[in-house]
Amino acid sequence: MELFANLAHGFVVAFSPINLLMCLIGALVGTLVGVLPGIGTIATVAMLLPITFGLPPVGALIMLAGIYYGAQYGGSTTSILVNIPGEATSVVTAIDGHQMARQGRAGPALAIAAIGSFFAGCVATVLIAVLGAPLTKLALAFGPAEYFSLMVLGLIFAVVLAKGSVLKAIAMIVFGLLLSMVGSDIETGASRMAFNIPELADGLGFATVAMGVFGFAEIIRNLDAGAEMSRDLVQQKITGLMPTRKDLVDSTPAILRGTVLGSILGILPGGGATIASFGSYTLEKKLARNPSRFGRGAIEGVAGPESANNAAAQTSFIPLLTLGIPPNAVMALMVGAMTIHGIVPGPQVMQKQPDLVWGMIASMWIGNLMLIIINLPLVGIWVRLLRVPYRLMFPSIVIFCAIGIYSVNNAPVDVILAGVFGLVGYWLIKHDFEPAPLLLGMVLGPLMEENLRRALLISRGDWSVFVMRPLSAVLLAVAAGLLVLTVLPALRSKRDEVFTESEN
Amino acid sequence: MADTMGHSATATRNTKVALGFCLLAIAPQIFELIWSIGTIFGWGTGRGPSAVVISHATALLAGAPGALIGAASGDTKKVSSEVLLALIYSYPLFVVAILTFFMTIRSAQDYVGGVVLMAVALFALWAGSDLQGMRGFSFGAGTAPRMFGGLLVALSAGIALTGLLTDGPPMAHYSWRGPLFVMAGILFFALAIRPLGLVVTGFISFMIAAAGSQETRWLEAAIVGACLTLGCAILFPYVLGLPMPMFPRFLAQ
Repeated sequence: MELFANLAHGFVVAFSPINLLMCLIGALVGTLVGVLPGIGTIATVAMLLPITFGLPPVGALIMLAGIYYGAQYGGSTTSILVNIPGEATSVVTAIDGHQMARQGRAGPALAIAAIGSFFAGCVATVLIAVLGAPLTKLALAFGPAEYFSLMVLGLIFAVVLAKGSVLKAIAMIVFGLLLSMVGSDIETGASRMAFNIPELADGLGFATVAMGVFGFAEIIRNLDAGAEMSRDLVQQKITGLMPTRKDLVDSTPAILRGTVLGSILGILPGGGATIASFGSYTLEKKLARNPSRFGRGAIEGVAGPESANNAAAQTSFIPLLTLGIPPNAVMALMVGAMTIHGIVPGPQVMQKQPDLVWGMIASMWIGNLMLIIINLPLVGIWVRLLRVPYRLMFPSIVIFCAIGIYSVNNAPVDVILAGVFGLVGYWLIKHDFEPAPLLLGMVLGPLMEENLRRALLISRGDWSVFVMRPLSAVLLAVAAGLLVLTVLPALRSKRDEVFTESEN
Repeated sequence: MADTMGHSATATRNTKVALGFCLLAIAPQIFELIWSIGTIFGWGTGRGPSAVVISHATALLAGAPGALIGAASGDTKKVSSEVLLALIYSYPLFVVAILTFFMTIRSAQDYVGGVVLMAVALFALWAGSDLQGMRGFSFGAGTAPRMFGGLLVALSAGIALTGLLTDGPPMAHYSWRGPLFVMAGILFFALAIRPLGLVVTGFISFMIAAAGSQETRWLEAAIVGACLTLGCAILFPYVLGLPMPMFPRFLAQ
């Protein structure tokens, strides 16, 4: 079996001491930063991106993947213990998880979150290994027109899954596309919208914008509310980490359902983990014999969403590794990291860099295992970290981010640009625009333009090529259908319902 | 009575919003003016402030209307970039600002958000106006930026319209302290990292940023700032192997 040979090869790579260490450091540091309230996964990955630059490519990507799961796990720890979800994916975890913590069952809640994530991670790892090769073959059948249509579909997914107004979400994507145009044109080399600033000739750095819009903007926004945010920290000592037999029996089906749902939603380009956790929560609530328990500390409400978001987080590597298309903002950062190491994500990566791909896949499983082993005993430390007052934390984060951005290119201008994008991000938040679609648009921009140009060049300027090629036509039809469904008022109100679930 | 009072309240606010848009319409020109002040002291190369004022004023008041009339009479002369800025960016925004006077804004959050986004898109259209467009059926460097810019103008107009047609939240409250000091810290870091090195810059930026909250206790902040700077000074250059200046240049030499 080629599959198992590949996986075995991956494990050999991942189990080398240096890579194990990278994975461990990544998971630890990711959790450490992810636990800080108000810092979501995207901000964590963006902040920690520079620390992987000095490493060899395989080690760097393994570490980044570790940071990603660590951040996600850290996010759920904060939502359970403090009721401050670091990001959208752990919003639903906070609903029942925090209630459990207030009832003195923080231990089981954290344990179930870890166990559910681990199980989902195992399934997703196998799924990536199984689906990777066939999807790569499919990718080879993709021409520029298909790629373009697929990206349109991905962006439409991002719109559908974004919160609030559809119009605003589309506008954010187009804004991102526009920002990605800054810099040199790929074909002619003409300098576009760079205003003769040499640092802009290479385009806006992706990490710079991400750090500004997610890191700095979040800090400024949190300061609005006053540095002492109302923190509902569970003060009593966490005892009895292990869930009871009843907990396990209750949560097993939820974990299974969450894993399946998350795996499917993660593969789809657009938003993956967030919708998976919301979807899973809604599903559990619908299926429960006694739905009124939800919101009062139902363990299924923690188990389902946590498994779903971890499964989705991992399967979202599939489109990245096979098609080279990042399905969400975190994967977009991964693309940035790969590019810095000189790797162009896409179908050829699987064949040319088996060490990298399979090593990363194997390390995902190891990373999840590490998280479950490390984090449960370390919960006490994370809790202590949560007691650090925000008035000390926010300047530290600012400085850390500033040093991080500076170290990417040793360019002071990048730091200023990140600051400017921090203000832009603050403005966007104030006007209820979501920054995540902007980031996705920015990453997909150059790819989209390139494929659009190529497709039209091949078809000699005939736009009908996008609907004449069957695969491309199907993708565009799905995108159009999705958009129509989203705009229809009846469905819109339902969609809002899914997202407002957390607020009551 | 209540009706008239309500009306006057929206009227005053509309005036403010409209004046804000007028300011936005000439924001790039003002920015260039501020930038050009530096040339008096010999920083940077560019036109002096007086040259900037004269060129933009003539473009706004004479050049652009002239170009419009010229275009109407079929005269396709090449226009300068100042005139283009006035035509593509400033004039549409002035029109929006004038229209704002007569509108009832039902959701200021959406309306202002949409108009500002439109300004960004128009500015991008101007910035990309010197790029080559389509050559036969092949894309030029400027085709895609123009496409996305045009799309964003349409979408943001849609958002602004939603703000006029449907009820929604008013403008959110902005605070000044947090953004000001955090940005000042970042700016100081960017300007000082090369000449002063990580140790000095990191600590001072930390203290500037810390001023962004009223609850900062200075002694405590100084201790944490010193520890953090020390930590970063070890972490980045030594552990992670990312080279950066550590100490002020005049001390290192």
